[in-house]
This record gives sequence, C-alpha cells and structure tokens, in this order.
Amino acid sequence: MLKELIEYIAKALVDNPEQVEVSEVEGEQTSVIELRVAKEDLGKVIGKQGRTARAMRTILSAASTKIRKRAVLEIIE
Amino acid sequence: MVESREFEGKTVEEAIDKACRELNLKREQLQIDVITSGSSGIFGIVGTRKARIRVSPKEMLPDDQVKLAKEVLENILNTFDVPVVVEGSVKNDQIYLDIISNGSGLFIGRRGQTLDALQYIVNKIVKKEISRCLPIVVDSENYRERRKKSLVDLAKQLGRKARKSSKPVASSPMNAHDRRIIHLTLKKEKGVRTKSKGEGAFRKVVVFPVRKGNSTRGGAQGSSSRKDPPQAGRDE
Repeated sequence: MLKELIEYIAKALVDNPEQVEVSEVEGEQTSVIELRVAKEDLGKVIGKQGRTARAMRTILSAASTKIRKRAVLEIIE
Repeated sequence: MVESREFEGKTVEEAIDKACRELNLKREQLQIDVITSGSSGIFGIVGTRKARIRVSPKEMLPDDQVKLAKEVLENILNTFDVPVVVEGSVKNDQIYLDIISNGSGLFIGRRGQTLDALQYIVNKIVKKEISRCLPIVVDSENYRERRKKSLVDLAKQLGRKARKSSKPVASSPMNAHDRRIIHLTLKKEKGVRTKSKGEGAFRKVVVFPVRKGNSTRGGAQGSSSRKDPPQAGRDE
C-alpha cells in the first residue's frame, strides 16, 4: 500500500505516467520505496527546492506509522 | 495555456483535432469558436479557404472542480488502510476538503505538516488537470480554524512583548500562510510594525515596537529598518 500511494501520486504529477516505476524493498523495520520516472519528469516529482519530494515523504511517513514501520522514499535518477 | 489561440485546418474538424493535439486537451475541455468554416472551392482548386477556429481552455464549474479535487484526495487516502470519508464544498472562493476519520490526528501530523503536504500535492495534481482552478484547502478535525486562533493569540502576545520591552521580538520560523495571519493580526494593532526576515524554511516574523507619538508604519526604531520601504503585499 505504501507502494501504491507513491505510484498514484507520481503518475498524477508527471507527463509520462507509463514510465513511472515504483518498487519496494522491505526490511524488518524499514521499507525503502524506490521511484523511477522519465528523465524529463524528474523535476516534477522533486519540485522547487525539493518541495514535492518533501511532501511525498511526509505523506509516506504518515501512512507508514499506521503499520508501525518506517518508510524511506528514494528518487532514483 | 489560459489565453485563447487560433488554429487552421482544411476543415473545422481538422482544426479542432490539431488544437487538441497541440494543447494536449480533450475536445470537451475546449471552448471552440469557429471564425471561418473552410470551403473546398470548385473542384478543390478555385476559392479554397482554410477553416479557422479560436479555442481556449474551458473553465470548469466549481462543483466539478470540487468533485475532481475530492476524487484525487480520496485516491491518495484510500491507500492508507484507514476508514476515511472526504467531504468537499466551496467556501469563500476556495475548495474546502474535510477529511473525516477516526479522530486520531493521523492526517494532521505534527503542526499540521501532513495536512499541508496533502494540500500541496492535491493542488498540484488538480492544477495539472485544469489550469484555472480555485485554491484547495485540506482540513481535518477543524485543524485550520484551531491553528488560526492560536496564531492570532500568539501574534497578540508578540505585540504586547515588543511594546513592553521596546525591543524587536521574533517569532519561531513558520510558513507563509502562518506568517500572513501574524501580519494581518498585528496590522490593526497600534504601536507595532511587522516584517518577515530570514530565508526559506527559516523565515520568521519580527515584530518591531513603534516609538510613541510616531505611530505611522515605517517610523520604527533602528536606522536599518527605516531604509526599507514599507512592504505591504509581497511579504505578507
């Protein structure tokens, strides 16, 4: 569900939703969500001074407290 | 993308197709005015005229904007695994989305940071869909109103402190919306003047006392602040 959350937001923000790829690496306590988007969409998911990325991370951590886990969002170039 | 543009084609249909492709919008999203309908002339040789149309993105009705904004927020929250209902309405020229859940404050976060993040993302997604859209406010458990009240109290407290000590008093760092409330609250109060200072996330409001008998804005203590023109709009 953390994966679906990031996937939905990223797809809605970019110009090339078909190139959005999200994978989840689950650890015991921490999950790492890896987000890949088209090169020209990188700015859209990061935002001015990282504002969009920060907002996504905030929402992600709210979602992960519910399942008593920590989640990290990595945007991969 | 807000302004209108003209397109040409052999037929009106062709011109519309072209407009949709170039503006990346669906036909339903466009306001189309036909300037000249094309004619193929005689045998397609003499008197051919191209069709010209003028298109502009159609404005969405506020009710439809609410529907779209509500849908976007619901899609995000439904991945949360918590029973949740979103109520949408138009309030003071804003789209107001209220998150109703179990009341744990999960969607508010520390100092409303989760609400702010949701609000920012929803605004961004909806703005991408419809360029002209009312601003969207995301709220839960009446947090926005409660926060506003405590900011007004804080502003008054800062004002009292500045006047009493005759020294500038700074608030803790806060975002633009919260600073605005401080500025607006103290605007009405006599004897103090406010100004935002600092960069980015560290920007805060400084409340200056104004010397007695000189209650106009800009007549503050300290020579450095006198050089600054009174900034009304942008900084608040």
